[in-house]
Amino acid sequence: MDFKTLLKNEFVFLDGAMGTMLQAKGLKMGVAPETLNIEKPEWIIDIHKQYVDAGADIIYANTFGANRYKLSECGYGVEETIAAAIKNARAACEDGNTLVALDIGPIGQLLEPAGTLSFEEAYDIFKQAVVAGKDCDVIVFETMTDLYELKAAVLAAKENSNKPIICTMTFEENMRTFTGCSINSMALTLEGLGADAIGVNCSLGPKELYPIVKELCRWTSLPVVVKPNAGLPDPITNEYNVFPDEFAQLMKVLATLGVKIFGGCCGTSPEYIKAMRKALSDVKYTDREVKIPAACCCASNTVVINQPRVIGERINPTGKKRFKEALLAGDIDYILGQGIEQIHAGADILDVNVGLPGIDEKNMMVKAVKALQSVVDVPLQLDSTIPEVLEAGLRIYNGKPIVNSVNGEEKSLKSVLPLVKKYGAAVVGLCLDENGIPKTAQERFDIARRIVSEAEKTGIRREDVYIDCLTLTASAEQAGVMETLNALERVKKELGCRTVLGVSNISFGLPAREIVNHNFLMMALTKGLDLPIINPNVETMMQTVRAYKLLANIDLNSAEFISHYGVQKTEEKKPQQTVSLTLDYAIENGLKAEGAKITGQLLENTDPMDIVNNLLIPALDKTGADFETGKIFLPQLIQSAGVAQSCFEVIKNHLAKSGEKSESKGKIIVATVKGDIHDIGKNIVKVLLENYGYEVIDLGKDVDCQRVVDCAIENDVHLVGLSALMTTTLASMEETIKLLRENNVDCKIMVGGAVLTPDYAEKIGADFYAKDAKESCDIAKKVLG
Amino acid sequence: MKLTKLNRSEAIRYLGYGGSTPDEKTLLIINDCEKKLLECISPAYVYRVFDITSNGESVIVEGTSLSLEGDDIKAHLDKCKKCVLMCATISAGADKLIRQLEAVDMTKAVITDCLASAAVEQVCDIAEEEIKSGLEDCFFTWRFSPGYGDFPINIQKDFLEVLNAAKRIGVNTTESMILTPRKSVTAVMGISDAEIPKGRRGCVTCKLKGNCAYRRKGEHCGF
Repeated sequence: MDFKTLLKNEFVFLDGAMGTMLQAKGLKMGVAPETLNIEKPEWIIDIHKQYVDAGADIIYANTFGANRYKLSECGYGVEETIAAAIKNARAACEDGNTLVALDIGPIGQLLEPAGTLSFEEAYDIFKQAVVAGKDCDVIVFETMTDLYELKAAVLAAKENSNKPIICTMTFEENMRTFTGCSINSMALTLEGLGADAIGVNCSLGPKELYPIVKELCRWTSLPVVVKPNAGLPDPITNEYNVFPDEFAQLMKVLATLGVKIFGGCCGTSPEYIKAMRKALSDVKYTDREVKIPAACCCASNTVVINQPRVIGERINPTGKKRFKEALLAGDIDYILGQGIEQIHAGADILDVNVGLPGIDEKNMMVKAVKALQSVVDVPLQLDSTIPEVLEAGLRIYNGKPIVNSVNGEEKSLKSVLPLVKKYGAAVVGLCLDENGIPKTAQERFDIARRIVSEAEKTGIRREDVYIDCLTLTASAEQAGVMETLNALERVKKELGCRTVLGVSNISFGLPAREIVNHNFLMMALTKGLDLPIINPNVETMMQTVRAYKLLANIDLNSAEFISHYGVQKTEEKKPQQTVSLTLDYAIENGLKAEGAKITGQLLENTDPMDIVNNLLIPALDKTGADFETGKIFLPQLIQSAGVAQSCFEVIKNHLAKSGEKSESKGKIIVATVKGDIHDIGKNIVKVLLENYGYEVIDLGKDVDCQRVVDCAIENDVHLVGLSALMTTTLASMEETIKLLRENNVDCKIMVGGAVLTPDYAEKIGADFYAKDAKESCDIAKKVLG
Repeated sequence: MKLTKLNRSEAIRYLGYGGSTPDEKTLLIINDCEKKLLECISPAYVYRVFDITSNGESVIVEGTSLSLEGDDIKAHLDKCKKCVLMCATISAGADKLIRQLEAVDMTKAVITDCLASAAVEQVCDIAEEEIKSGLEDCFFTWRFSPGYGDFPINIQKDFLEVLNAAKRIGVNTTESMILTPRKSVTAVMGISDAEIPKGRRGCVTCKLKGNCAYRRKGEHCGF
């Protein structure tokens, strides 16, 4: 018997709870149940047997928490525990008709950015369990709440085993998991990654799971699994409130939705499985006709391409000096800022291109994607010409991204499409090949058809191929404009593919580019463009998209349009005219836009460094002094710093354009130490230090001790700021300082954080204790001038 | 559970205002942040009641693998026959919101962080009331959390395990015993059938008492 054969049955039955049964046998709460595989195998075999007798087709080995993190203090290794567990399960089903699943639950620590566990380490932990469980028939990942953790798990299983994979996640009544994963994002991502069955388990009873299962059944063509709790436990008696017969009847209702695989989670027992099997014995499987739409997603948000969706093009260094500078400096915050600005302007998806000569593009892609997906709620389009860069991004992306791009060249098709398939992405297909971009619509259409056909041969759905008929500049190839649009129209109608187009290129070399751009955009939308790649910060472009949606009867009742343009936006309250607006006034009063504007005006006839030294810094000194004397408080201090930051941004842009180097007053490393993830204080320090003209290298949170040392040496840094907020992480602070001293790094060290005292700072060998962000600036001045 | 209002004055105190009132502009920002934060969180808690015994050294939580170590928790649960183990959180939504704000507006990030700290205390207060109302004719101690006094913080992992907190409300811990989502709290409340003398809650058992920003100003954090 194997899983595939089992699926030919009307329904497939799993077992019920293990933990509940073990507690009934006397397991103490808090003891790792997996240790009983070795210490009390007879208990485990007995429970398995009861489930086999109750009619389970697949039993889950007692391996839910058998990972190296959870087992770390129990005295047994992962390999011996899992081997014993699978042996016990096999012992219970000697007839050979019952399959044994390697059951793997969450690791027990959250992944970055919520926790400190990296994706790569999570992969490694799952890999160890998968390899240890090689004698199973099926691999099950269950009770998952983080899609990212589950992706690491599925990759680990796919790459280290050929067993079928069942994935079930745990949803709450708000239709999301605890980490915010939505049902459609889960379905799109897991089906893309090649899971064999997906579903839900735990958290709720079968009644409450109904809407969740219903939604899931709409979004996947895979067999759907449901393994509910027996209701909810009573906090005092720990007893569940749904009994076997009621449970079975409710499961019968779920069967009408098209569920294939049934089991029980917390609180269930063999009685439940028996009752359920009986209740479903005269029911037929409900075949689902599922048409999964063209869509991409991040864990929390799915974007269905059923109307024009804007792809923001700004995360791309091409032709942008300031962006290049930020990339070279590894300034991830700048990239984040560019991303968030576009989303506020209306982007549905962000293109991410970090290719630049002189940087490690693969490494930068990983860094940028990790940073972006930890703050934004839109899907990303990974944009690179190098397959290795694409793969690195695809691997660590949390959701179903778009790959930009493949083209009609043999080499491109052979290297990119398999990646798209493996990681379950969508892909942009460019209508060009070995011979370049063809002139006519017909030739481009032919290439599009070839790409689609190759994609389908690779196992990629047509809905997941977005064709780009390529915009040529109107100034150079005026006759080509309509060829592009005609090709687009045919691709949409005849191939049934979604279409994508970079719009801004059309006007290159022309005056009044904006006029050309938004008119071209409207023409393309009318021809059937689904995914315009544009700069959403340009107001006329978003106006065009919104107007199109209104006129094309997509924006029903003009709701979106009215919400944007219906109310005349009231002018922001301007400071009173009697006050002649100065830079220090703007800084003191937290007027960001004004500060930037004044800086721009000043730059027309003032040296940038004069502005910094004679205006910005004295103004900051004043707010710093006011903060110290209690005239202003932390929010105001940070607001002022924010204004100064926007002024600096204007100056940096100015310098980047003129090719001048900004003067640095010295480099400072800031880091929240290993094990600690409280970084808000460190980030305030960073903003303030940057305002004083220091070049701050921000190593982030949970920073390895050695990394601080390496970075200090590599960049010749003479001041290091370390932050820790937990008594448990002070040890890493001490360790980092020790390591810096042992390596004779020529630097001063300042430390701060809630649990530190001046005495303790001295004891662990720091040079300075900074009680707040303001004081860290005073220390920097003392050390670096 | 749903919060409709946050304890703003508490958050303002966390922001370092002491007895002062923020200026009007800051108050407006605090309003905005409160509204947004309330949209992003899903507060939840989980608890269980256990019998406790003492083996002289530490407090044993019956039916579990837990023993509560340290003089302070021992004193705290003195004369109690049972205790409540609880865990409360305002959920991962708050962490994400703060991360987003850190990338665009540090002022809002800091304010939201303080509001979120106030929010999880509110969740604990509500949880405490609900728990108490379900247990008639009992007397309770105040909430004592791992990390207070000499009650070791490295109990968090097992504490969460016993409550099944990861499955039930999504609370985990890092290897340094930081609870994630960040705005989460674990606590122990003693239950006695006789009245428990008030007092002791305050600076005495606090690790920060030697270097506390509130105490320096002659104030109190409210605990």
